[in-house]
Amino acid sequence: MTDTPWEPPLSGTEAEALLGALDRLRWTVRWKADGLTAEQLAARIGRSTLTLGGLLKHLAVQEDYAATHKLTGAPMPAVWDANGWDSDESWEFSSAAADSPETLYATYDAAVARSRAALDAFLADGGLDRQVHVAKTVGRPVNARRLVCDLLEEYGRHTGQADLLREAVDGRVGEDPDPGWRPSPGW
Amino acid sequence: MTSYDDTQVALPTAGDETQTLLGALDRNRRTFAWKCFGLSQEEMQRTLAPSTLSLAGLVKHMALVEDHHFTLQMEATMPEPWASVDWDAEPDHPWTSAAGDTPDQLEELWRASVVRSRGVVERATLDQLAKYCEWDETPNLRRIVVDMVEEYARHTGHADLIRESIDGLVGEDAPR
Repeated sequence: MTDTPWEPPLSGTEAEALLGALDRLRWTVRWKADGLTAEQLAARIGRSTLTLGGLLKHLAVQEDYAATHKLTGAPMPAVWDANGWDSDESWEFSSAAADSPETLYATYDAAVARSRAALDAFLADGGLDRQVHVAKTVGRPVNARRLVCDLLEEYGRHTGQADLLREAVDGRVGEDPDPGWRPSPGW
Repeated sequence: MTSYDDTQVALPTAGDETQTLLGALDRNRRTFAWKCFGLSQEEMQRTLAPSTLSLAGLVKHMALVEDHHFTLQMEATMPEPWASVDWDAEPDHPWTSAAGDTPDQLEELWRASVVRSRGVVERATLDQLAKYCEWDETPNLRRIVVDMVEEYARHTGHADLIRESIDGLVGEDAPR
């Protein structure tokens, strides 16, 4: 593996470019949130209620939701069976403060692994033009291309929020992880 | 095309690659503009410590990135005002000089850069390679557009928190 495995190809195909960009953001978010205490993962800035722990848990939910409900109609993984969405639609943000750092990192890493595998398997049979399951809910055609683009935008936006949160926690700044950086085992 | 239109490109749910990528880029531009504009000069200069980023700096930075990524990389010419900047003396020019710009000047600068970028994209295909390259390997336009979607989304994430701290405005998408 190179020192910067998160770099997408410079002149790749559509699928390589989109999935490569998505994966670079996964690495970057993980780096922005890595190695912190529960208190640091729950830190806030300005008027916002966002936290790094909340962002990790939210992105884990988004990964699993995209890779199951939206992509194929499969049920959400059992890890989300016990949740508080009935009374709090932002439950994953608000409940993250009660989770240990180890739980937040492991939850995120597992969701990323599931999502990567589900997207790869789906795209292997029909590519980005293939219709995704959520089309049945929204009542018009939706292809995998749009699903991946939406996920990319969602990730980019939350990575920007993580940039400012992390800088406030310990001064870590930067666009990509440092060359050679690796997150905790299990990635 | 000579003027800026913020609803020029629609984002289809089942479109082809070009429609979807350019639609995603334009949606990101629209969201970014919603988060950054409509404020006084003083408000656009505010920061959310310890970060030194301001909305004024973000807007000027994105105007430069538009011209750098599209016009310079794809057509090998750098538009003004960037061509006349002494980058050795002012390596952070967009960030530092934005403090002296009015909101109207910043919006005009950014919109003009977007109009130039759209023109470049209309004259090219996604597989086309850049004419000007600072890396070891030459990117194609596809990679440049995907990078721009990411660049806008990320900076809009910065703008989310900065804007909320200025006047409490929050939300995911710009109102139609």
